[in-house]
Amino acid sequence: MAQAQSLENAHVQHHFRSSDQQFSSSKLGMWLFLFTEVMFFGGLFVAYIIYRAWNPELFTMAATELSTVLGGINTVVLIGSSLTCALAIRAAQTNNQKMIVNYLLVTIVLATVFLVIKYFEYTAKFEVGILPGGMYTFEGIDHPKASVFFSIYYMMTGLHGIHVIIGIGLMIWLVVKARAGAYSSAYYTPVEITGLYWHLVDIIWIFLFPLMYLID
Amino acid sequence: MSAHHIIPLKTLLSTTFALVVLTVVTVAVFYLNIPAPFDVVVALLLASFKATLVAMFFMGLYYDEKFNTVVLVFSLLFFLVFVGITLLDTNFRDAGINVWIP
Repeated sequence: MAQAQSLENAHVQHHFRSSDQQFSSSKLGMWLFLFTEVMFFGGLFVAYIIYRAWNPELFTMAATELSTVLGGINTVVLIGSSLTCALAIRAAQTNNQKMIVNYLLVTIVLATVFLVIKYFEYTAKFEVGILPGGMYTFEGIDHPKASVFFSIYYMMTGLHGIHVIIGIGLMIWLVVKARAGAYSSAYYTPVEITGLYWHLVDIIWIFLFPLMYLID
Repeated sequence: MSAHHIIPLKTLLSTTFALVVLTVVTVAVFYLNIPAPFDVVVALLLASFKATLVAMFFMGLYYDEKFNTVVLVFSLLFFLVFVGITLLDTNFRDAGINVWIP
């Protein structure tokens, strides 16, 4: 019994009183990181708000270049990936080792689908000369500051896309560890914390979708 | 231990369902062509509601220690301060300062 107890708590670092305290502290640390993420994306949202307040008609005109259908599909894809991510945590809590891996793999696939759709959106824009900043050569929008909208679009969706790529990397690492049986109801902190990160990436997209694609 | 709460499967599935329905509503509202600025207000209200659902049931804040919610709420408050103070500048500039040549 004493042996089982010590194995159960093998993951507890010496400076924590208990496994629960370590778990709560890790989660709080992650929430503090998410605070900085809100401010990180917040800077870009502020840029969006200022330029939209200055050029409301530009945002109405430029947003018609974005595909509502593709943006909508990507929204649903990310919501689905959030579900499978939450299910992976649930599998860990219920000691279902096999399903941790399976749900994480589905999440990775959905995240990849999101990026593939984004790739097609980007390349279609690049081909007609809708590029960020000074490289902008598209003449379909009759507005002197047309490039501003797309610079903001590329910065916001690009930073979001980088977060998706990092999320995929983290989940591949989780799959490798989960395959080795690292996670169970006694210890699944990395799965839980990656989940929090992934859901925040989902939330950012929930705001980006109406703000970028749905302006009339 | 509340932090280890296992979220019921039914809760996760109904949250997902609600999020997909709200996404459809968001797109439908867009095609209604509500006049500005109310279109943005409605879109942001819907997005905020969706984000709240994700935070409460996917991120587990509904079951979690309340301090984590405090951290999230404060991040949003600081973001609003960021927006508010910046707009106090940019929305009240003289025309002469606001001239910007790309």
